[in-house]
Amino acid sequence: MRITTVQRRKLQNAGRFVLNIPLMLVILIPLLYTFSISVMPPDEIYNNHLIPTSVKFTNYVQAFTNPYYNFPRMILNSFVVSTTVMLGQMITCSLAAFAFSFLEFKGKNLLFLAVLATMMVPGEVTIIANYLTMMRWGWLDSYRALIFPFLTSAMGIFLLRQYYLTFAKELYEAAKLDGCSNLRFLGSIVVPLSRPALGALGAYVFLNTWNQYMWPLLVTNSRNYRTVQIGISMLYDIDAVSLGLMMAGVVIVIVPSLSIFVFMNKQLINGLMSGAVKG
Amino acid sequence: MAKNKEAKAIRGGIQKPQFWIEPYLFLLPSLLIFGMFLYYPFFRTIFLSMFLTNKTGHAKIFVAFTEKDNYLALFKSASFWASVRVTFKFVFAVAFGGLLIGLTSSLLTEKKYAGSNFTAAVYAMPIAIASAAASMAFKMVLHPTNGLLNNIMGTQINFTGDMRYALGSVIAVTVWLTSGINFIFISAGLRNVPAELYDSAAVDGAGYWRRVWSVTIPSISPTLFFQIIINIIGAFQSFSQIKLLTEGGPGDTTNVMVWSIYMDAFRNFRFGSAAARSVILFLIVMVITVIQFRFEKRGVNY
Repeated sequence: MRITTVQRRKLQNAGRFVLNIPLMLVILIPLLYTFSISVMPPDEIYNNHLIPTSVKFTNYVQAFTNPYYNFPRMILNSFVVSTTVMLGQMITCSLAAFAFSFLEFKGKNLLFLAVLATMMVPGEVTIIANYLTMMRWGWLDSYRALIFPFLTSAMGIFLLRQYYLTFAKELYEAAKLDGCSNLRFLGSIVVPLSRPALGALGAYVFLNTWNQYMWPLLVTNSRNYRTVQIGISMLYDIDAVSLGLMMAGVVIVIVPSLSIFVFMNKQLINGLMSGAVKG
Repeated sequence: MAKNKEAKAIRGGIQKPQFWIEPYLFLLPSLLIFGMFLYYPFFRTIFLSMFLTNKTGHAKIFVAFTEKDNYLALFKSASFWASVRVTFKFVFAVAFGGLLIGLTSSLLTEKKYAGSNFTAAVYAMPIAIASAAASMAFKMVLHPTNGLLNNIMGTQINFTGDMRYALGSVIAVTVWLTSGINFIFISAGLRNVPAELYDSAAVDGAGYWRRVWSVTIPSISPTLFFQIIINIIGAFQSFSQIKLLTEGGPGDTTNVMVWSIYMDAFRNFRFGSAAARSVILFLIVMVITVIQFRFEKRGVNY
């Protein structure tokens, strides 16, 4: 029997997919397994089942309703902090990027270098001194400590500046001739035109802040200001026996991250690719 | 004179005199944040590294260039060198492990097929997952009695608590975490390889592996080099995996530098010594960044 071109294409398709299965499993299994454990009745976890025989959402109900775990509050904290940092960076980076791309002033190059130089310093290097600052100011255990240090970024300024530089200089000059102030030009022309870049910055910054671990761990002590990443890791310390509950917590914090990945994939990857220059 | 000025203004396209301080006002919010939370703490860290501090991190006794010097104490301590060795092992394994998975997944999805978009999304996904959340998921996978890996193999290995497996375990978790960004950059690099290169290789009768080895890899070598540097810098900063899976142990087997900074400062309250460790970490990362700049100018391409 002869194989037609269509059949060959189908075979080739299937073959390529099959080749990808092992590596896809390596990436997916930890997450699928986490979900599986989170909906498994406890006795099945301890009898080493891989897939639950019946799906139970009691762990999720527990996580959300048991005041002892304080989970809703921690989710709220993470949302407040991530959203504020995201909006803050959009504003401060737009302002700075505008100055660096449209305005002329003394020391422009030097200041731009000073901004870029901040990319050379890993956050872990300054973390002790920043922690001591927070302690001296009495900022430990507050939203301020979680938000303020992250209200700007060299990556954000760089990303927006690159975008602004593609705008025609004539646009700015025409607006100036019409007596448009810089701030109004930025607000009513530059910002609406740079939505793709702002989207990339926003998605990237929100995700990064949501996923932060070390800094929130250091500066928050009380249950009221802990973020959700700290929350899930503490479920283990509180109660090492409830593996199911712990995995439900992991699923809960991953859902917002995955939603951004799925629904803002393009923006996120654009943001990531400009952010990776920092490493 | 006045005419000259006017002409200049017209040539510049701006007729209204500019408010001279305005550009700096636009920069002010960012510069304030950078100043307070980046430049100040950076110099403060260098300053602290020259002192013995009290429990609240106040510099008390100046010890630089004396026999109590923080750096000298570190260089004399076996534990510090153990930590440096572990860090380099960890960083090296993560950088190349991540690169290998990224290259494999990129090659596997190079040609489109039905469902290749889904596959690509799966390979990119780890970029979205928090290192803390992934560490907790892997804590379950690696659980000594009820974990997936021991279940499948029918063993009861304590992956994160056993000297022989602890470093390998945190390396594996970190490679998993970093595989997404490796996939994204390397597959972007692959898309930029000119098709003619493959065509001429095919005409010469080169097989698949031959083509990968002598066409693909040389063509994307700048991307691969860039990606290794990103992996290295990222790996130096790993913390959550260590904190949540091994706490630097057992012994010093997973005591990477960031963990030792954390321990020094927040468990032993030796802020001066922790600051000295931070400065050393900064210098290492800076040297690597400088190497990257150098090579980027020259271009790694054969």
